[in-house]
Amino acid sequence: MEVTIDKQYPVAAGLDAAWAILSDVNELATCMPGAQITEVIDPTHYKGSVRVKVGPAVAAFAGTIELLAIDPATRLLKMLGKGADKGGSSASMELTATLIAGEGGHCILQGKADVIVNGKFAQFGGRMMSSVSDMILGQFAVTFSQKAAALQAAAAVQAGEIAASAPIPAAPVVAKELNGLAILWALIRNFFSGLFGGK
Amino acid sequence: MNAPASEREKALMGMGESRLRKEDARFIQGKGNYVDDIKLPDMVFMDIVRSPLAHARIKRINKEEALKIPGVIAVLTAADLKPLKLHWMPTLAGDVQAVLADEKVHFQMQEVAVVIATDRYAAADGVEAVEVEYEELDAVVDPFEALKEGAPVLREDLAGKTEGAHGKRYHHNHIFSWDAGDKDATDAVFASAPVTVKQDMLYPRVHPCPLETCGAVASFDPIRGELTTWLTSQAPHIVRTVVSMLSGIPESKVRIISPDIGGGFGNKVPIYPGYVCAIVASIVLGRPVKWIEDRIENLSSTGFARDYHMTGELAATADGKILGLRANVIADHGAFDACADPTKFPAGMFHICTGSYDIANAYCKVDGVYTNKAPGGVAYRCSFRVTEAVYLIERMVDVLAQKLGMDKAEIRSKNFIKPEQFPYRSALGFDYDSGNYQPALDKVLAAVDYKGLRAEQALKRADPDCPTLMGIGLVSFTEVVGAGPSKICDILGVGMFDSCEIRVHPTGSAIARMGTISQGQGHQTTYAQIIATELGLPSEVIQVEEGDTHTAPYGLGTYGSRSTPVAGAAIAMAARKIHAKAKKIAAHLLEVSEADLEWEVDRFKVHGDDAKFKTMKDIAWAAYNQPPAGLEPGLEAVHYYDPPNFTFPFGIYLCVVDIDKGTGETKIRRFYALDDCGTRINPMIIEGQIHGGLTEGFAVAMGQLLSFDRQGNIQGNSLMDYFLPTAVETPIWETDFTVTPSPHHPLGAKGVAESPHVGSIPTFTSAMVDAFAHLDVTHFNMPHSAYRVWQQLKQAGLAS
Repeated sequence: MEVTIDKQYPVAAGLDAAWAILSDVNELATCMPGAQITEVIDPTHYKGSVRVKVGPAVAAFAGTIELLAIDPATRLLKMLGKGADKGGSSASMELTATLIAGEGGHCILQGKADVIVNGKFAQFGGRMMSSVSDMILGQFAVTFSQKAAALQAAAAVQAGEIAASAPIPAAPVVAKELNGLAILWALIRNFFSGLFGGK
Repeated sequence: MNAPASEREKALMGMGESRLRKEDARFIQGKGNYVDDIKLPDMVFMDIVRSPLAHARIKRINKEEALKIPGVIAVLTAADLKPLKLHWMPTLAGDVQAVLADEKVHFQMQEVAVVIATDRYAAADGVEAVEVEYEELDAVVDPFEALKEGAPVLREDLAGKTEGAHGKRYHHNHIFSWDAGDKDATDAVFASAPVTVKQDMLYPRVHPCPLETCGAVASFDPIRGELTTWLTSQAPHIVRTVVSMLSGIPESKVRIISPDIGGGFGNKVPIYPGYVCAIVASIVLGRPVKWIEDRIENLSSTGFARDYHMTGELAATADGKILGLRANVIADHGAFDACADPTKFPAGMFHICTGSYDIANAYCKVDGVYTNKAPGGVAYRCSFRVTEAVYLIERMVDVLAQKLGMDKAEIRSKNFIKPEQFPYRSALGFDYDSGNYQPALDKVLAAVDYKGLRAEQALKRADPDCPTLMGIGLVSFTEVVGAGPSKICDILGVGMFDSCEIRVHPTGSAIARMGTISQGQGHQTTYAQIIATELGLPSEVIQVEEGDTHTAPYGLGTYGSRSTPVAGAAIAMAARKIHAKAKKIAAHLLEVSEADLEWEVDRFKVHGDDAKFKTMKDIAWAAYNQPPAGLEPGLEAVHYYDPPNFTFPFGIYLCVVDIDKGTGETKIRRFYALDDCGTRINPMIIEGQIHGGLTEGFAVAMGQLLSFDRQGNIQGNSLMDYFLPTAVETPIWETDFTVTPSPHHPLGAKGVAESPHVGSIPTFTSAMVDAFAHLDVTHFNMPHSAYRVWQQLKQAGLAS
């Protein structure tokens, strides 16, 4: 099952702060709910895991991340992630992410992901794959934006650009597991709001 | 007792009567006895670990976590079956199939391990806990890709084997080539014919969807060395023979019971890994083991149907007389060749593809190919690939008519085999027993006012504002059923005869035991009617028993519309043996010679003397208690019937569709089905069978599809995606009939249950394509779901 997602997400921070997050694989991985880097093999190869919780069941995907390209000049990152759970479901994602300048000092995260999913997820979720991937990436982008904003504010405090007492955007709290039921609920909610022209 | 013959005949409720189904009383009260209703003391449950990947090497299987789960008793893998030589098993098609994946998985949802536990929940938990490490391999889901030079080798177990069960293999993913007809003569006709047409078409992969999924309860008695297994099987005797051969247990100690079966449609003909594992587990554990698959497992792993990539060609004169037919097929058989065809026919009865038409020259060729999909190739409510064959010829006749600008009915009339040509030897080698096609066609055209429909269609086509496209489909099919003569038809060497044993009891009731097994066909009702008419005993007192190999005579089971053509004939022949003995007894009782007796409904009477008679009931008592000297007591007979030929039921189907130009939604306005199945045993049951078959045909044509992505993930293996029509979607069916008896069948009956499936599917496509015919569209593939039709409308520039 192959899904390609090509989308732009607004980031509530400037290019430098956003690039700092994007170019740090550890930081980047933790933008994904339930994901973490478990081992750094070398500067371009990492081991990681994703925990997905659907009701009482928790599936743990273990996998590898390979950095294919990282270019500060064009602020481009290309990586390949592969993972499988113990039951043999597997997924791979080739992600190309670029940062482009946006309005008001903010920037835009442009992401293109080619996702291949095999096993139970591909079988049962065929028709939902695209919306689920979309939603996971959406969550990822929100966390990414929050992290970048927090980093930018902290940097500004350090540089004395704003007073230490000013409210700083808090670093996001990221869930330790990707909650499958929450995603399902959001899908259903979106479906109905779409039905009644809500969106 | 002395009522007029006509009244006595009516009271028997014999052949020709719409006798109510005897099965329904228990079914509608929930008192059926299906495999999952079997509960035995000490019984444990089995569940299956299945492959999430379509093609992968198994690197490691870890059972430890599963065995820690409370209630889990055992986990079996191929390594455990290997010492018993049961990790692979023969298929009905002469190939082998992995019982549990041996080193490699070949399709998604393939059986990898089984977990046996004290209850179903623990077994399911155990399945989740079995850890299997895979190394992914490139999957091949397209048979054309599979035949390319550098394609991955799917069946490493066959490496280097250039000979298969059906001759030469020319590629590592090739299974067999099979052909029929005279290639050179046919090619010559095509080279010189004034008109030729050619059309590619795909009959997509679908799956029978019986309400009851497959399952088994295996119970091995280690003290007696006896194995009893309740099984969802359409052919319990074949299962017994195979189980005995595989296990080494004598056939006399293997008892296979098919209890009530909740629909088969070909899905319950093959022998599945789940059955074998349940049996092995029971032998190993010495306890009864139950396995019942769920819907997703059923749709994903047990016998699929069709998946034929076909190219049809017709050669004809300019005025529409067909001169030649060529058909070429790439058949996707999945990972193992587990087709359930008579052994000598790897493409089943596909060579019926000359249809109802007198075509002097024909040639067909089928190549079987391995892919990373589930094995099968079962006859989904049809007689071994007849559905594919009928689809091909009926589509091609339409394509030719369109090219010549001829009407669909006219071109069919022109090419029909004429009544005086029967028995008719087809160019591909069948001997059609009987048929009378033109009157049937005329009857249908008159019933629907065909001319009026065409006029309406012309008006609608002329009106650009008409919101719908109107299509008229017409099909005149001939089926070949009742496999079959054992000189050409066998399964694993067992001839395809069938059998009946009748015992008439002293008080005039009777029991019949059969080699077939009903899955909803109503055998208990109809078989009794045959006996009632043959022996003059009321059908109400005739019991019919099937499915228990300990009591039933050996038979090849129920599929391919063979019950009435083969077992029905066996009943008549067994009854006639009893009838002959009864006549001797009657002559003795009446003190006349047999030549002085005549049979009337339920009695032998002395010629011309209504007062001197003995009823069959009287004779039954005498048979046991006062038989004539020299005649052994009792009144029973067994008959094994080996049919001299197949039977060839036919039908004319017409369908009118209205397609919404904006959405592609299709309304079946009218469906008129005329069937000729020869002698009719129970018109009500025939009607029910036709309604069921048409509904299944509607499902296949308009929505059913098992599709796969490029990685071999099955898409749509639940009823969320797989179309199973309910009363809401099902159109209204109109049925009709003519009667052209089979000359070689003792009752003249031909079999009917599959005709509506076989015949309706091309009728729907004929109607759908007809709606687009004025736009030069000659064909598009099934299923005709709204989305796909909408795409067709877009392509034709009709929808935006």
